[in-house]
Amino acid sequence: MKTYFSLRSHIAGALGLSLLVPAFALAQIDSSVINNTAAAVNAAGSASAQANTPVRTSAQVQVSASTTVSTAVMTRAKTKADTEIDRRIKALGDLNTRVQAMTKITADFKTNLNTNIQNQISGLTALKAKIDADTEGSVLKTDVQSVTSSYRIFALVMPQARIAAAADREATIINMMAALGAKLQARVQATQAAGADITAVNTALVDMGNKLQSAQTHAQAAVSGSATLTPDKGEKTLMAANDAALKTARAEIKSAQTDLVAARKDVDTILKGLRTISAAAAASSTVQTQ
Amino acid sequence: MKWLIGLVLVVVAGAGLWWSGLLNQYLPTAKPQVAQQTATTTPQQQTTPAPINDLPTQTSDTSDAAMAQDTAAVDAQMQGLQNDSASIDQSFNDKATAQEY
Repeated sequence: MKTYFSLRSHIAGALGLSLLVPAFALAQIDSSVINNTAAAVNAAGSASAQANTPVRTSAQVQVSASTTVSTAVMTRAKTKADTEIDRRIKALGDLNTRVQAMTKITADFKTNLNTNIQNQISGLTALKAKIDADTEGSVLKTDVQSVTSSYRIFALVMPQARIAAAADREATIINMMAALGAKLQARVQATQAAGADITAVNTALVDMGNKLQSAQTHAQAAVSGSATLTPDKGEKTLMAANDAALKTARAEIKSAQTDLVAARKDVDTILKGLRTISAAAAASSTVQTQ
Repeated sequence: MKWLIGLVLVVVAGAGLWWSGLLNQYLPTAKPQVAQQTATTTPQQQTTPAPINDLPTQTSDTSDAAMAQDTAAVDAQMQGLQNDSASIDQSFNDKATAQEY
């Protein structure tokens, strides 16, 4: 009978890969946006100036209107930036809660994930405070654009850590099912020793071992292929490579999940088979007694 | 006859040295052996941690009740894995809110 006790070895060490600490990238100021905004403000100012010519000078009205429009634009920009930053901070906080619950990765890897997430949260919190305090349009523009540019880091860290969390869960399930498989194996061996035909349950038991082995390989590949990716900082080649690596890692997680679902079905097959053998033996015993 | 006398003298001299304790420093004693044994045993205990049992029941418990508990625990983790997998998909589909300015 094929055994699979080797599957009980923990993959924690193998999952212990480190992530690099990301850094926020500052966006370049888009000068065309500034020019367009200024043109719009000046046009509004001129219109107001014509209506108020008897009381105020054209220059005074233009400055006043320009300030009003500029304040409204800044307020709207701040609100949108704050909303996006809050959304990311919440997502990162939820992710960190999940990371803290991971049990099969190494302490170092867990610390790295935690550090990366905390750095992101700290950076976003500081950015939000700065945006809220900004009074100059040009400075606000730079800060708001860094909300967009920093998304590339967020878009990398989130799936990276989510993949690690799923792989950690898969490692836990593999451990559980391997231990359960050992119990089932003991029951099957006892049934065989009693003279029963165990062919069907043994087939399921061997398949279960193979599926767990395959799941472990896929889970490990998912972490190995995604944990060391670094932020692309706008570099298109690296961006494409990161996307491809993350998609491959996601596929590995799903393959491992498929294996685990199949292994779980094998458990049902074995339990059902053992019950059938037990019932048949009991019926045979009853007939002999009568 | 001379060789017999010589042999006796050597034996007597050896016995004298042993009695005086002079040879003790060259002979192995039980004490260092115990110390050495302790030194090798301790690291072995540290490097072979007991395997973690993720099941809710004892690994030796093969009863129907225990396995029912075990399978329920596995199913709970499988459900958690489905959620984890959905979270990965969600992180792939996430889009940044367009900013003004």
